[in-house]
Amino acid sequence: MKYDNPELREQLAAEYVLGTMPPLVRRRFERLLAADPALRRVVEDWTTRFGSIDRATEIEEPPARIWRSVERHLALPRTAARPRWFGSLGFWRGATLAAAAVAAVAIVYIAVRAPPTPTTVVAVLSDDKGDPGWIAQSRAGGDEIAIAPIRSVAVDAAHAFELWAIAGGAPRPLGILPPAPDHPLMVQASALPPDGVLAISVEPAGGSPTGLPTGPVLYKGKMLPRQP
Amino acid sequence: MTESPLLLQELLRKTAGGDATAFALLYKHTAGKLFGVAIRIAGRGEIAEDALQECFIAVWQRAADYDPIRGAAMSWLIAILRNCIIDRLRRRGVRPEGHAAPEEALRRLAAPDSAEHGAELRALRACLDELEEQPRRAVLLAYLYGLTREELATQLAVPLGTVKSWIRRSLGRLRRCLES
Repeated sequence: MKYDNPELREQLAAEYVLGTMPPLVRRRFERLLAADPALRRVVEDWTTRFGSIDRATEIEEPPARIWRSVERHLALPRTAARPRWFGSLGFWRGATLAAAAVAAVAIVYIAVRAPPTPTTVVAVLSDDKGDPGWIAQSRAGGDEIAIAPIRSVAVDAAHAFELWAIAGGAPRPLGILPPAPDHPLMVQASALPPDGVLAISVEPAGGSPTGLPTGPVLYKGKMLPRQP
Repeated sequence: MTESPLLLQELLRKTAGGDATAFALLYKHTAGKLFGVAIRIAGRGEIAEDALQECFIAVWQRAADYDPIRGAAMSWLIAILRNCIIDRLRRRGVRPEGHAAPEEALRRLAAPDSAEHGAELRALRACLDELEEQPRRAVLLAYLYGLTREELATQLAVPLGTVKSWIRRSLGRLRRCLES
C-alpha cells in the first residue's frame, strides 16, 4: 500500500495534527488511523510536540449550559441518590445562608497533590443540583482519607462545614472541614462506612453543639465501591 | 493552575466504566482549559461552545479508548477537542480574520502548568524560532487559529503551492529539531 513510506506517514500525521488537511483527505486519514496503531503513535507524537501550546493557553470558564446539554444529551443518571432523612428535615430550602459561594475560578486543584502517589477517589460529594463540590481520596498504601473541596468555598467566620458519616443510624460527626482545597481534612479510613453516605452540613463555628447536624446539608455522596 | 495527571487518568478510567460522577468531575477539571483552547481557535461563540459539548459527548462514549501508556489524559482530551473544532470550522467554510498576530500570541501564552510542560514549550519555541519567518507564521496560524491552506494562502498572499511546501518543510524541520 502507498502509506508505508515513513516520510509520508510522518508528514500526513503532522498535517493531521496541525489541522491543515482538506476535509476529504482528513476523513480518509482517520479511516487509516483506525486500522493502524503504529500510525496512531506517530499522530500522538505530534500531538505531544504541539500540545504545550494548548496547555499554556488561558483557561476560560465555559457557560453552565454546556454541561447541562452534555448531561441531557447522554441522559446521564443523577449521581448519589438523596437519603430520605435529608428531605424530611427540609434541609434544601433556605440553604443558601453561609454556604457555597463558589469562587469563580474555572479549574482547580485537587487536594491530594503533594506526593505523587496514586490516589483513589472514594467518594464525591455533590450539591442538590448534582454538581460535585468535595472529594474524598485515599492514597496508595495509606490508611487515611483526605477530604477537600474541589474549589475554595466561602463560609463566614461564625460558621463551619462539618462532615458526617451516615450508615443506617444517626449521622456520626467526622470533623470540621477546611474550606480550601490544599488543606484536606484527614480521616481514618476505618471511620468511613463502606456502603454509607458522606454528608456536609453548615454548623456554628466549632461544630454542631448537639452532635447531630443542625444546619442545612449542602453536599452528600455515596461511598464508591472499593477497587479490587 | 495545575491538574493532577493521575487524577485525570483515574477519572477517565472510571468514566470508561460508566461512572457519571467521575465524568462530571473530569468536566470540572478540564472544561476550562479545553474551552480556552476552543476560544483561541474558533473565537467566542457557537462553534467553540458546540465543539466543547461535542468533545465531552465523545469523551463519555470513547473513554475506554484512552490508553495511559500512550500519553497524558489531558493530551488525549485536547486532541479530541481539536478534532471537533477543526471539523466544525471546515463545515462552516471561510471565516473572518481578526486574531492576534501568531508570534505575539505565542509570546503571550500563560505559564505552563508544570515544569515538564514548561520545558516542552521552551523547546517548541526554540525550534519554531529556527524556521524562516513566513513558513513559521503559516504553521502558527494553522495550529493556533485553525486556518486552512487556502486561508493561509490568502492571508500570507502567496500561492497555495507555496503554503503546502512551507508547511511540509517546516514540519520536517520541527521534528528534526525537537528530536535532536
